[in-house]
Amino acid sequence: MSEHSTKTSGLVDGVALVTGGSRGIGRAVVERLAADGMEVIFTFLSNQEAADEVISENPDRKITALKVDVRDSHACRACVDEIFDRTGRIDVLVNNAGIVRDNLLAGLEDDDVREVLKTNVEGTFNMSRAVVPFMMSKRSGKIVNLSSVSGDKGGRGQTNYAASKGAINALTKSLAVELARRGIRVNAVAPGVIETDMSQEVRDMAGDEIRKNILLKRYGQPADIAHAVWFLCSDFSDYITGQILSVDGGFKMG
Amino acid sequence: MSDQDISKEEIEAVFPKAAEIIADALGCDEDEVQLTSSLIDDLDAESIDFLDIVFRLEREFKVKIPRGKIVEDARGDLSEAEFEQGGIVTDAGRANLKSFLSEVPEDRFSNPMKSADIAKLFTTETFCKMVVRLQKEG
Repeated sequence: MSEHSTKTSGLVDGVALVTGGSRGIGRAVVERLAADGMEVIFTFLSNQEAADEVISENPDRKITALKVDVRDSHACRACVDEIFDRTGRIDVLVNNAGIVRDNLLAGLEDDDVREVLKTNVEGTFNMSRAVVPFMMSKRSGKIVNLSSVSGDKGGRGQTNYAASKGAINALTKSLAVELARRGIRVNAVAPGVIETDMSQEVRDMAGDEIRKNILLKRYGQPADIAHAVWFLCSDFSDYITGQILSVDGGFKMG
Repeated sequence: MSDQDISKEEIEAVFPKAAEIIADALGCDEDEVQLTSSLIDDLDAESIDFLDIVFRLEREFKVKIPRGKIVEDARGDLSEAEFEQGGIVTDAGRANLKSFLSEVPEDRFSNPMKSADIAKLFTTETFCKMVVRLQKEG
């Protein structure tokens, strides 16, 4: 029997940290990784009810929630120290926490620009900076950043969001170069339009127009993204680093 | 803080664990890590390795090692401009470096010396002394 036909994901008993895991794509990622036997710790900002629901609806899985603001680098460090002190390892980091504040450029307020960049980009920096030393010492690890189709293709009303995801793409590639010799792979998943709370407004406003631009003629589901993230966390993607994987149903600009 | 404040015994107390950490971080045998070993020239350390070493030393010895700590301490009372000009260490800077890095043989201080090459001077003992100093600072 050949080795590749019996290879497993290698995730069982590993420890994963997922930021923004209480809803949407984040929640789907938490559940997908936990289903492979990982202990998954996810962060959430304020929605305690949603966080509790992730745990209560997955009673047989090893899932914990930590209230952490990823915009706070000290909080990120404290969270990671706590996880490492308890478990002795961090195998996977999924930087998923992100927000949108859509508007045409001239309509954006200072806060709309600042908060999107702070959460999406700085949040990814903060959590990665906290986790990377542990992965470096262990000489292994997988980091998956959540980007977006708009990071590459742009999007009307999304200059701030697209800028943040373009930054994530560049960060992903640079970090992959830095960490390769320590056996750490860094990749990103760029979702298209996914049926979550975050895209509700966009889908309500421009639904038909968007769907015309999707080759597969449907919105994505959180599980579609979770499977891609799972793949990039698993041993199956050991020869992949510095890549941005588009999971967008074949999304065209227009 | 002058070297009179750090005894041979204090250095030797930290050395075994520091050597283990350096060997682990650099993927070499522990007996290759001597007090006098230059991390870059003798043990092939790169910048990512320094980050790993500093991180592990912080956790092991419960100290906080700010970035650039060694050079900052070596600079002493000299300003940055007095210590280096255009990427080259000044004479005053080199004198301070020699005095601070007393564990490093005289002939390793090249003239002129690029600031980018300062890290090549660092030995295992340099890091042991830093840990002892930080432990004393509390």
